[in-house]
Amino acid sequence: MDEQTRSGDDSPVIPREITRAGDHDIRILWKSGHESLYPARYLRLKCPCAVCVDEWTGREILRPQAVTEDVAPSSLELVGRYGLRVRWTDGHSDGIYTFKLLRELCPCCQES
Amino acid sequence: MSETDKLKIDIVDALKSIQDPDLGRDIVSLGFVKDVKFCGGVAAVTIELTTPACPVKDQMREEARQAILALDGVDEANVEMTARVRSSSSDNQSLLPGVKNVIPVASGKGGVGKSTVSANLAVALAQSGAQVGLMDADVYGPSIPTLMGLSEKPVSGPNQQMIPVTQYDVKIISMGFFLPEEKAVIWRGPMLDKMITQFLGGVQWGELDYLIIDLPPGTGDIQLSLCQKVPLTGAVIVSTPQDVALNVAQKAIAMFNQLNTPVLGIVENMSHYRCSHCGQRDEIFGTGGARKVSESRGLPFLGEIPLSTNIRVHSDQGKPVVLADPESEQAKAFLQVAENTAAQISIRAMAGELEQDIKVSF
Ligand SMILES: Nc1ncnc2c1ncn2[C@@H]1O[C@H](COP(=O)(O)OP(=O)(O)O)[C@@H](O)[C@H]1O
Ligand code: SF4
Ligand SMILES: [Mg+2]
Ligand SMILES: [Zn+2]
Ligand SMILES: [Zn+2]
Repeated sequence: MDEQTRSGDDSPVIPREITRAGDHDIRILWKSGHESLYPARYLRLKCPCAVCVDEWTGREILRPQAVTEDVAPSSLELVGRYGLRVRWTDGHSDGIYTFKLLRELCPCCQES
Repeated sequence: MSETDKLKIDIVDALKSIQDPDLGRDIVSLGFVKDVKFCGGVAAVTIELTTPACPVKDQMREEARQAILALDGVDEANVEMTARVRSSSSDNQSLLPGVKNVIPVASGKGGVGKSTVSANLAVALAQSGAQVGLMDADVYGPSIPTLMGLSEKPVSGPNQQMIPVTQYDVKIISMGFFLPEEKAVIWRGPMLDKMITQFLGGVQWGELDYLIIDLPPGTGDIQLSLCQKVPLTGAVIVSTPQDVALNVAQKAIAMFNQLNTPVLGIVENMSHYRCSHCGQRDEIFGTGGARKVSESRGLPFLGEIPLSTNIRVHSDQGKPVVLADPESEQAKAFLQVAENTAAQISIRAMAGELEQDIKVSF
């Protein structure tokens, strides 16, 4: 059974490659072939951890003013088979970005 | 080239006609053919499968034998089947360094036979020759010590690590070893988290082909915690026919999907009732619901276990039915589930080996 034969909305999305893009940004090449480029600060502001987002309402607690313009990832780490933990230069590292979330956050797939 | 060398090449060529049904490739290109000998009309080959519990092992052996015997100059063919279980995890810094595959057994709710399936699965895999561990993580109702007839508790080894108790060739650690007997414990997030870390990292499992985890029922914190800490190979979902009807099993499937943990397949337990007097199969809740859900989800169906007192009685006596009554219909059903599960694990592991996993360079 491979990923492709799973049906429904909950079929998993898996990256093939996760690398740097430029000095700050993150690039993900998905198994599907789609490529996503995440500006560092954009991703930092989307941190899904309990400190940054209200668990119940989904409201963003983190204020954009609190995040410096030059924030960047300092390291990346895979979590299980489902997500990515990002360590930021501002010291924050609580958020686990699931692949599903990352796929949804792809800037080129956002309706503007 | 000598006649012998030429025949060895012919033998390998002949074996190319044998397909591995799970991997969709021939056993030669998969590298399963290990050792080819030929001398005085007698051919001997070794075929290394992905698991000793391969469901089509005997069939492949026979096909190989026939293919070799069909060659001119061969009078006798000896085919030896061995196995090397592949690891589904590319993560060697994990909390479980020597463990090749981690398989949680889950259910949408309690009482569906999750522990019974876990214990029989573990014992059946061990019987086939695999190295197996069984971790009873059910903090609410640890029942593995009873099911596996354990009386001793684990001892601490060097560097504070716990040494599992071995019973029926299975290495066992249970939450039941640690729980105070008097009162029920109310588990809170951080405590659960600590317990799981201790369970995963604080036990000297050694080298294991399969670590089966009997999860607590449901889809709460502990399951999430577990999935976040180790790369799980894939989950086995246990469901009764009526739970399928009530959408209980689907919740467990959805949880694993959300975590990108593959679901290896579904086991239907307490499938049907066979009257012990007349042998009539009587379908109390209807059968085959889990098979239908599997199909509609594109998930493998791992098998169905009949509802039978034979299973409960042996469990209560501390010896799973696959050991206590190996010739019984119930034991055979569990064996089939174990083989199908091992096959699904193989498919996962080989997929990782054949194509590469997630590459992070940062
Ligand atoms: N197929 C079966 N036929 C008969 N009794 C079963 C079967 N499977 C489990 N049981 C019994 O049902 C009860 C609950 O099973 P258990 O494995 O403890 O469930 P769970 O771990 O899901 O709570 C036990 O008494 C067990 O012996
Ligand atoms: S279990 Fe499946 S993958 Fe492994 S050897 Fe048998 S058929 Fe092949
Ligand atoms: Mg149980
Ligand atoms: Zn955060
Ligand atoms: Zn996009």
